[in-house]
Amino acid sequence: MTTVLRRLRSELFPTRGDGLLSIALLSLLALAGVGFLRWAFFQAQWLVIRANATLFAVGRYPAEQQWRLWLLVGLLAAATGLSWGVLRSHPRRDRTGRLWPRNDRVAVAVLVLAGLWGPWALGLPLHLQARWWGLLALLLLIRWLAGRHGRRLGPRGLRLVALIWPVLYLSGMVLISGGLGLVAVPPSEWGGLLLTLVEASFAILLCFPLGVLLALGRRSDLPLLRWGSVVYIEFIRGAPLITLLFLGQNILGFLLPGGLAPDRVWRAAWVLTFFAAAYLAEAVRAGLAAVPRGQFEAARSLGLSYPQALGKVVLPQAMRVALPAMVGQFISLLQDTTLLSLIGLMELLGTARTVMANPAFLGKNAEVYLTLAVLFWCCCAALGLGSRALERRLDPQTIPSAS
Amino acid sequence: MSQPSAETMIEARAVEKWYPNGFQALRGADLTVRRGEVVVIMGPSGSGKSTFIRTFNALEDFQKGSITVDGIALSNDLRNIDAIRREVGMVFQQFNLFPHLSVLENLTLAPVLVRRRPKADVERQARALLERVGIAEQADKFPGQLSGGQQQRVAIARALCMEPRILLFDEPTSALDPEMVREVLEVMQALANDDITMVVVTHEVKFARQVAHRVVLMSEGVVVEEAEPEVFFTNPSHQRTRKFLDQIL
Repeated sequence: MTTVLRRLRSELFPTRGDGLLSIALLSLLALAGVGFLRWAFFQAQWLVIRANATLFAVGRYPAEQQWRLWLLVGLLAAATGLSWGVLRSHPRRDRTGRLWPRNDRVAVAVLVLAGLWGPWALGLPLHLQARWWGLLALLLLIRWLAGRHGRRLGPRGLRLVALIWPVLYLSGMVLISGGLGLVAVPPSEWGGLLLTLVEASFAILLCFPLGVLLALGRRSDLPLLRWGSVVYIEFIRGAPLITLLFLGQNILGFLLPGGLAPDRVWRAAWVLTFFAAAYLAEAVRAGLAAVPRGQFEAARSLGLSYPQALGKVVLPQAMRVALPAMVGQFISLLQDTTLLSLIGLMELLGTARTVMANPAFLGKNAEVYLTLAVLFWCCCAALGLGSRALERRLDPQTIPSAS
Repeated sequence: MSQPSAETMIEARAVEKWYPNGFQALRGADLTVRRGEVVVIMGPSGSGKSTFIRTFNALEDFQKGSITVDGIALSNDLRNIDAIRREVGMVFQQFNLFPHLSVLENLTLAPVLVRRRPKADVERQARALLERVGIAEQADKFPGQLSGGQQQRVAIARALCMEPRILLFDEPTSALDPEMVREVLEVMQALANDDITMVVVTHEVKFARQVAHRVVLMSEGVVVEEAEPEVFFTNPSHQRTRKFLDQIL
């Protein structure tokens, strides 16, 4: 206790002037905090969120088909628990000797609190609250089991665990959109967080290979490839996303083969992809530039082919350098999906606008926007945390630890 | 010291190279290296010696002349280049180890990928090679955790793991702290006693005297003098060589 006090004193009141400044700032902070809390607890009417929770979550997705989304969330929880547990059972030590993952008990605590409080605060019917709590329990149970027994997995087992994610993504897309015996739910009926996540994940996954190809093209010795990439990147980076989105609604139908862009939702997803790829290419290019030329020469002189040298030696190193910039790009991409509301898609912001236009909830803008901000913040924070963990894990000085 | 055979491993004839900026680095360089021979190339900086040996495994292209390596003519044919690179190992001034791979993985990467050999097999060989260069206990570390001398020895083991018939050394000790030069030279000397063909660009006079079959002086993009070490260092026939030796001895 005394050490805490001493530390507070040395950090907040080292000199008289600093002390006054600290007091001023702290009281400002307290004022703002009290004001916010008073609003949040006594003035704000959260009914607008509770009444429209389903709309914010999935839009107008048909109620009788929503079990598919529950199933998907269940699979996601299981896969998350499994991967998390397996990572825990293969901890690594970074150069300062700390274990990774570390602090993940804090993550569990946050998850448990949010998972218990969220459904209750939203005032969901009891059976839905119970369903969320069940999902949370499933995640934690699998994490615990995988953490205990994950050590037994060999390299092939680890690869299988990683393979779950692409399989899950593809089957998730089938669950959402239908097909393979499931009733088709057209994209026009998707909405809310579901649509935001579908658009963002689609663009993030596809812009990645495209961006890498563009970055390689820009560094290519072939003039046609090089200039093609430069023109593409600079054209896209020179135009605001919103104009490209409008443009995409009009011309993408002519550019892509019929089956790929019939729907407004998918057109927008492709525009987001092409847009993000140009920015990603620049991040990857910076990463490639950071890999010394000697690495490529060493790989080539060992007899590796150009693709082998690139894939096994140059790109892994470039990606590590480019990762923070790339994740920054992914985070802005996620936030850029709000622009889709301007071309009439019912993603989170679009849904929010229809809700606020409802006469029953007039004037409840603050509640709605705050909820959106918190939702986006959670998604972006998760991306950021994940990327920092990945960065640490990819550090060549981070070695598998024996314990 | 094993004696080289009569078989020609590298034959470079009148090689000329211009860089894209118009600078001519090689002005008709000639060199013949026989199988099992150790040839040391010396010369002032900018004389084209690094460029010259980098043409032997097509890390640099050239515009005129011809190079034949182990019977394969170096042309723009990519199949020939790949075939030559499999036979020719290279050790760089800056080591160029792959920092994201462990020491062992640095050695096994190419044999598994390029020669498609079974991994367990290659790993056994890699550990034996690390033993041979005296760093068996570092196999599971990463390059960043090793000293310069250790890194260069790993680089030599990495090149050897491809079982090349020719090893090129591009100033292998120039980037090392003085106290680490010896450990690398000792490994190279042990190699020279084996049957492998070596072309070494270096300023290490003692190494050249003790290990080389022939010493070559390059100056301004051509080979000026070729002689056995004793002759080269005590009684060179060219003025240019004497001047160079005056500067470094």
